[in-house]
Amino acid sequence: MIRFENVGMRYGMGPEVLRDVSFHLAPGSFHFLTGPSGAGKTSLLKLMFLANRPSRGLITMFGKDVATLPRAELPALRRRIGVVFQEFRMLDHLTTYENVALPLKIQGRKEETYRDDVEELLAWVGLGDRLNARPPPLSGGEKQRAAIARAVVAQPDVLLADEPTGNVDPEMGQRLLRLFVELNRLGTSVLIATHDRALVDAAGAPELVLRNGGLTIRG
Amino acid sequence: MADPRRQPPRSRPLPPSHDEEKRGPGATLASLLVETRSVMPAAGATGLPLMLVVAAMCFLASLALGAALSVNDKTREWTSEISGSLTVEIRPSRDMAAEDQIDAVMSALAAAPGIISATPLRRDETAALLEPWLGQGLVTDDLPLPGLIDIRIDNESPPDLSQLAIDIAAAAPGASLDTHRQWRSELMRAARSATWLAFGVLAVVAGTTIAIVIFATRAGLSANRDVVEVLHLIGARDRFIASEVQRHFLHLGFRGGLIGTAAGALTFLLLGFAGGAGDMFLIAASGLAPGHYPALLAIPFAAAFVTLTTARLTVLNSLERML
Repeated sequence: MIRFENVGMRYGMGPEVLRDVSFHLAPGSFHFLTGPSGAGKTSLLKLMFLANRPSRGLITMFGKDVATLPRAELPALRRRIGVVFQEFRMLDHLTTYENVALPLKIQGRKEETYRDDVEELLAWVGLGDRLNARPPPLSGGEKQRAAIARAVVAQPDVLLADEPTGNVDPEMGQRLLRLFVELNRLGTSVLIATHDRALVDAAGAPELVLRNGGLTIRG
Repeated sequence: MADPRRQPPRSRPLPPSHDEEKRGPGATLASLLVETRSVMPAAGATGLPLMLVVAAMCFLASLALGAALSVNDKTREWTSEISGSLTVEIRPSRDMAAEDQIDAVMSALAAAPGIISATPLRRDETAALLEPWLGQGLVTDDLPLPGLIDIRIDNESPPDLSQLAIDIAAAAPGASLDTHRQWRSELMRAARSATWLAFGVLAVVAGTTIAIVIFATRAGLSANRDVVEVLHLIGARDRFIASEVQRHFLHLGFRGGLIGTAAGALTFLLLGFAGGAGDMFLIAASGLAPGHYPALLAIPFAAAFVTLTTARLTVLNSLERML
């Protein structure tokens, strides 16, 4: 599904932040991405959600070589990937409901076909009473849960989450982990970048460990 | 755990939809006036100042269009009046008395085909024509005046003018046919210039509007770069982003167009109230002909179309450079 072969990445003329990274995410797999701060976790995720292109190496996503993919084909690929950004990246001028419904709206779906589902998902992540609130007044944890809801609402083939439990209490962290596990059970491949050892231990899934730009697989 | 997203839709009534679609011409017009919420924030892309600029452009456009329509109308009116008439001018001659000259020409005209009527002007009527130049009461009886015959021709089957001119010249010494052709061609040239001038103003107005909208669209995209990036990353196509941006400009163009056109129509109406002092360079100073006001209504729609298309193309062009 997602295959990295000897991938290297640098920003501009700077040093390589990722070196010879090779791994394969199979359909329906569940992985954690761990490593110290600055090890390149976010850079690796950016390559996976097609925000950046690699400096070298081969990235194949859903059978397509990312380096040679025409720009017009990127949206179709991105729609198969759900992303929880580290800094949430909610659109401040839209309500929580509109933010979460956005992936469905851009697919051209009519609101009446998804309104109930979006409301129910928001209720499930504990934001049922914040449907019409805009992101600025939401707490960090609420924004994070809204960001997770937005990432999973379109039932992507792959879910990439950058520190998805960084701003929530342990109880909500466990609840969100259960959501990820359930999604995975329904066929979505999940990759969670985290520092949260408790989360990793609770799930017992294999770990991609990044250290100084290099990657090893544990478990 | 039950997957919350896989529940069948419930039967409870839906609250007002966030992007409800309306149908029908009235609803279409209403949707042009009332902007629905867009995924792209309006900040930086639109605003009152930009709408006022579009309104000013549409005001100029309505004046130019109104002027072009008036000029066209006036020239059509004048040329049809003139082309239906001819004048025979008979200069006094030593060889023939004035009355005989007129009789000879009238006989020639009676024999010519395509002439509806021929009316010799009386001496006092001819004197009245000269009054604007010579002054009232200064045309004395001993002043030799040319005889004039006003001819109405049948526009459906007009006479052969060159043959008629020859016949008239042969009928009496000093008689000649005036077809008004020179006056008409000068009038047409002036009218054509005025019409082209009006179209030139319209083109400049459209060009300026396009340039302003390009600038505003780029500024808006630049201010909302982060939003565009998020939309791209969750799978939005450029077309989706462009359609969200162009909605702002559609409303802005239409509202600005309405304000500008209303101001233009008001100007013509005020000219109508204050007018009556004749024509200003072929434009009726008494305002625009009532039949031309509906034509001005095309301007808001044209403004909406221009701003929408420009914004869309600018967005698509700018996004092409992003990953």
